[in-house]
Amino acid sequence: MELAKNLQKTLNQKANPKTDLYVDLAESVTGIILVGFLWMHMLFVGTIYINNGVLFNSLSEGLDKYYLAQIGIPATVLVILIHIFMAGRRAPMRLRDLRIAWRLTKSLKHTDTWIWVGQVITALIIGIMASMHLWEIMTTWPIEATKSAHRVALDGIAFMGGFSIKYYLWFYVALLLAGEYHAGFGLYRIFVKWGWFERHKMGYVLKGITLIILFIGFGALYMFIRLAEMVPLGGALH
Amino acid sequence: MSRNITLSIFRYNPNIPGDTPRMQDYKLEEYSGMTLFVALNEIREKQDPTLMFDFVCRAAICGSCAMLINGRPGLACKTLTKNLPSRFTLMPLPVFKLIGDLSVDTGTWFRNLQVRTESWIHTNKKFDPNALEVRMSNETAEAIYEPERCIECGCCVATCITANIREDFIGATGINRVSRFLIDPRDERTDREYFEVVGNEDGAFGCVGLMACDDYCPMEVPLQKQLALVRRKMAAAGLKLDLKGMKIS
Amino acid sequence: MSAKHTHITDVVVVGAGLAAERSAIEAASAGLNVIILSLVPPRRSHSTAAQGGMQASLGNAAMAKGDNPQIHFEDTVKGSDWGCDQEVAKMFTETVPIMIRQLDYWGVPWNRVVAGKKKLPSGLEVEDTKDKEGLITARDFGGVAKWRCCYTSDGTGHTVQFVVDTVVCKMGITVHDRMEAISLIHDGETCLGVVARCLRTGDLNVYLAKSTVIATGGAGRLYAASTNAVINEGTGGAIALNTGLVPLGNMEAVQFHPTGMPPVWILMTEGARGDGGYLLDKNLHRFMPDYEPKKKELASRDVVSRRMIQHIRAGYGVESKYAPQHLWLDIRHLGRKWVWTNLREIATIAMNFNGLDPAKDLVPVLPTQHYTMGGIRTNKHGFAYGLKGLFAIGEAACWDLHGFNRLGGNSLAETVTAGYLVGIQLAKYTLGATQKFDYKLVEGFVKKEEERIKNLISGKNGKENVWEIRAAAQNAMMDHVHIFRTGKSLQEGVAKLQELYKRSLKIGLRSSGQGANPELAQALRMPGMIRTSLCIAYGALMRTESRGSHFREDFPKRDDVNWLKRTLAYWKEGADLPTLDYEPVACPYMPPGDRGYGEATAPAKGK
Ligand SMILES: Cc1cc2nc3c(=O)[nH]c(=O)nc-3n(C[C@H](O)[C@H](O)[C@H](O)COP(=O)(O)OP(=O)(O)OC[C@H]3O[C@@H](n4cnc5c(N)ncnc54)[C@H](O)[C@@H]3O)c2cc1C
Ligand code: HEM
Ligand code: SF4
Ligand code: SF4
Ligand code: FES
Repeated sequence: MELAKNLQKTLNQKANPKTDLYVDLAESVTGIILVGFLWMHMLFVGTIYINNGVLFNSLSEGLDKYYLAQIGIPATVLVILIHIFMAGRRAPMRLRDLRIAWRLTKSLKHTDTWIWVGQVITALIIGIMASMHLWEIMTTWPIEATKSAHRVALDGIAFMGGFSIKYYLWFYVALLLAGEYHAGFGLYRIFVKWGWFERHKMGYVLKGITLIILFIGFGALYMFIRLAEMVPLGGALH
Repeated sequence: MSRNITLSIFRYNPNIPGDTPRMQDYKLEEYSGMTLFVALNEIREKQDPTLMFDFVCRAAICGSCAMLINGRPGLACKTLTKNLPSRFTLMPLPVFKLIGDLSVDTGTWFRNLQVRTESWIHTNKKFDPNALEVRMSNETAEAIYEPERCIECGCCVATCITANIREDFIGATGINRVSRFLIDPRDERTDREYFEVVGNEDGAFGCVGLMACDDYCPMEVPLQKQLALVRRKMAAAGLKLDLKGMKIS
Repeated sequence: MSAKHTHITDVVVVGAGLAAERSAIEAASAGLNVIILSLVPPRRSHSTAAQGGMQASLGNAAMAKGDNPQIHFEDTVKGSDWGCDQEVAKMFTETVPIMIRQLDYWGVPWNRVVAGKKKLPSGLEVEDTKDKEGLITARDFGGVAKWRCCYTSDGTGHTVQFVVDTVVCKMGITVHDRMEAISLIHDGETCLGVVARCLRTGDLNVYLAKSTVIATGGAGRLYAASTNAVINEGTGGAIALNTGLVPLGNMEAVQFHPTGMPPVWILMTEGARGDGGYLLDKNLHRFMPDYEPKKKELASRDVVSRRMIQHIRAGYGVESKYAPQHLWLDIRHLGRKWVWTNLREIATIAMNFNGLDPAKDLVPVLPTQHYTMGGIRTNKHGFAYGLKGLFAIGEAACWDLHGFNRLGGNSLAETVTAGYLVGIQLAKYTLGATQKFDYKLVEGFVKKEEERIKNLISGKNGKENVWEIRAAAQNAMMDHVHIFRTGKSLQEGVAKLQELYKRSLKIGLRSSGQGANPELAQALRMPGMIRTSLCIAYGALMRTESRGSHFREDFPKRDDVNWLKRTLAYWKEGADLPTLDYEPVACPYMPPGDRGYGEATAPAKGK
């Protein structure tokens, strides 16, 4: 047994002993980049507050004009892919592991462990919804306040016939919550793992930031709805 | 004041042919100051002499008696029954090999860990019986004592999802143990040598940061601090060093 | 059944505590093959529970200035009430500073001297000088002239055991944990090894060795209330006694520690008083200075324990939910920071078990069985009397460093020092010895154990309940063989124990005894435990004087004319009482005199 295991290990020798280090660093670094991206993204979206979306539109134009979008979007996609690859390997994959993890989590009733389970679940949610979101944005390029507003507030009606369920609104609410949860606690755990802050104090700071971002996000959604009611699709702002 | 309590205890002795895992209930009358040490011994002496469990110091200093108490890991000897509901479960720690009922083989697991992580002072100096001890600041001595306080109870290992699903992961206690040598000026190991031992997925980089270990360590060893310390040191060492031809564990 | 495995090696060490592992290191360093057996993984041995520290005359701390092995020697002899072997005490006190430094070299994080002026809780001002900064420091302990107790916070036993075990790991010494030695194999002259029962599977194993070392620790659990771990049942001494050839020395010398915490009887280290703690009575009066004006709370343990009981008898005991009668330990004035760093272990214990925070609460204490001065009698090189190839060290042995009272901190120090010194002799002996193989003989010993097991399971000899007998025996020791002893009460105790001994031979299991059955394990130990208890009780009955911790109310004086001797207790086959023999105690360096504390010096005042 022991011999076979050692033989396995020898045969399995990684070309570079630093692989595990790089993988770990990559997980944290992509995590931080994505958190940065998400928060920037929310701040951008938040500009909808200002001037009824004029700034929002000019930012979007800027992204286009200086090819920031053309580079930024594929780069982000790449980072996300790396992140999924690096971080995903930590999640229980085999059925047996899932069962063990789930049983232990239920038994422990331990907050941080539950949070992690939440993170794995939100990761799945984000993985699916963010690709849909990206697809939607790419196929309706460029980004414009009114377009976004109508997508949020009105498209649902179009899809659903007579029902006034705001399909995209709920989509965004879900993505926002999942994204914020995942990013907020992800960042918390990076700090915990690298020991930059005392664990319990840091928890409060991050929860604070997450609340602010959520506030911005929901506010933005609200602004979109108002905008959609005020301005017809393709109509001018002001 | 006294109440009746029911202990629902995991029973299974792999050494008895035909025995199967099950939960068995035992009723007891609780009295003031009753610990699980008292309760379990009373069950063994008055109700069921086959019940297996481990106690040594019964003072929360030897690490023998860790088990899942109502689902959470803890030292049975220092757990007062009055802090538990009137019905609760006792299960053996996961990860470790079951010896029988609540008794698990932490000894072998920890022995392997010590050998794997080479947890002893590495030095080329020879001991000179005529010389004074090498001076050290009291602060350093106290810093070494912090991680050294681990009693190898296994609570941190049993709660760690990573350790539960990855057999080779050395757990918080293992990383903590290495940290103790890392900060000890008497250990002459180079960064490279430490990197060989813990600079990998089975060591520092395997930890996901769930901190169940930190929250459930009965000795309150500052595990977050020690885990992070090793991770930082190993990352810095790894990025700096030329590790060509290094032994891979 | 028959033995599942037979292991052949040069040295088998029974026990994995500090004494055991330290001797194993020495034997392995000489190139010998060593196997260590233990009830529990080495790092769970009771040595890890020692809190206070280890005595060695390094003389680094301010209050240690001028200390040397000679002063340590004198303190030890006085502490022992002239009962110890002075040659052993000499060797010991001269070697122990080297041991401390070697432990430091191996990695023990000893607390160090911090230079600067300090005000002690007693009000005394001292200064630690710059030239000593960074060297190993020491704290005060009972019965000493100088501060010499080296420590790591209050986890000294823990750190020392862990570090010694790292060396065992490094050297690759084989350890078989959960393996209980249940009898010695011998041919009447030489010890050939042990029969052991595996506590994982219940199988019997045979270990054959040129040398067998017994380092099984104390026997506190012969008493119902003890500070000892629950595995300290004195089984090592019992299996030696069972040979009928090896005597136990001075078993009546049992130490009661002044500060066990009721109702769980966990130890509050002497370091608490060493660091300046007080003992208070029901009026919150600090009473020790009334009895012991010089040493106050820090007279030797036997004296403080007796003074406490005396004070309680005088009507000053506290009645509370913790115990019907007890006293208080007060360390509040040391300050929160001191309590929760230097006395953290005991602060945690008080918190865990009684919900008390010693930084602001008083802690209930009462003298509690703590240490077994007696044990397998050996010569000064650790060779057991009666059988060749058998050695004993540590608390299980009567090397006789402690005589009739052990000084706090001298026992951890003994474990490593004896482990080292005896280890050298043991290695020398083993290298010159040849292995004896006598399979018939070995088979006979295994058969005997198998018979016992079979009979216990079938109930052939009777149906006595092992737990009831154990409880009764432990209570008999509490009632009759405690701090204050009288001929009449001891006589009753001996009679009770004899009765229980007969019953213990008729134990029958209630369970099936399959696998590593805990009831069977206890039943196998029971007769040996009561035999050992009888050695204590009967030895105490016959010793008609008071010396150290052995205090006879009907013979309150030390009697150097008749009793400057050591008790040797043998157990002859079929007997129901030990056979006592005596040997003289030589005093080559320090003739019997006044201890400077205790009843002889400061007659009881009581208030
Ligand atoms: C609470 C407490 C605090 C103390 N504090 C101090 C202190 O501050 N300073 C000091 O100097 N002393 C102190 N002492 C005393 C000191 O700790 C012990 O005397 C010493 O540690 C004994 O060491 P040992 O190696 O002889 O035995 P132990 O450490 O008790 O080891 C005994 C070993 O034998 C094994 N064993 C037993 N029976 C068998 C068997 N039948 N088969 C196989 N293995 C067996 C056990 O598993 C164990 O490994 C304290 C004692 C107690 C109880
Ligand atoms: C906006 C997008 C995202 C952000 C901001 C983000 C951020 C983070 C952060 C900061 C962490 C912690 C990393 C660490 O512990 O080192 C993390 C962990 C994780 N992420 Fe993401 N992530 C995002 C998208 C995704 C996606 C799309 C997936 C997969 C489908 C995913 C899967 C995971 C998993 C499984 C973990 C847990 C890994 C672990 O516990 O080590 N994430 N994420
Ligand atoms: S922090 Fe690391 S070691 Fe601790 S429980 Fe989590 S994964 Fe395990
Ligand atoms: S680190 Fe804490 S929980 Fe883990 S083994 Fe050590 S004492 Fe137990
Ligand atoms: S019995 Fe020692 S920690 Fe519980």
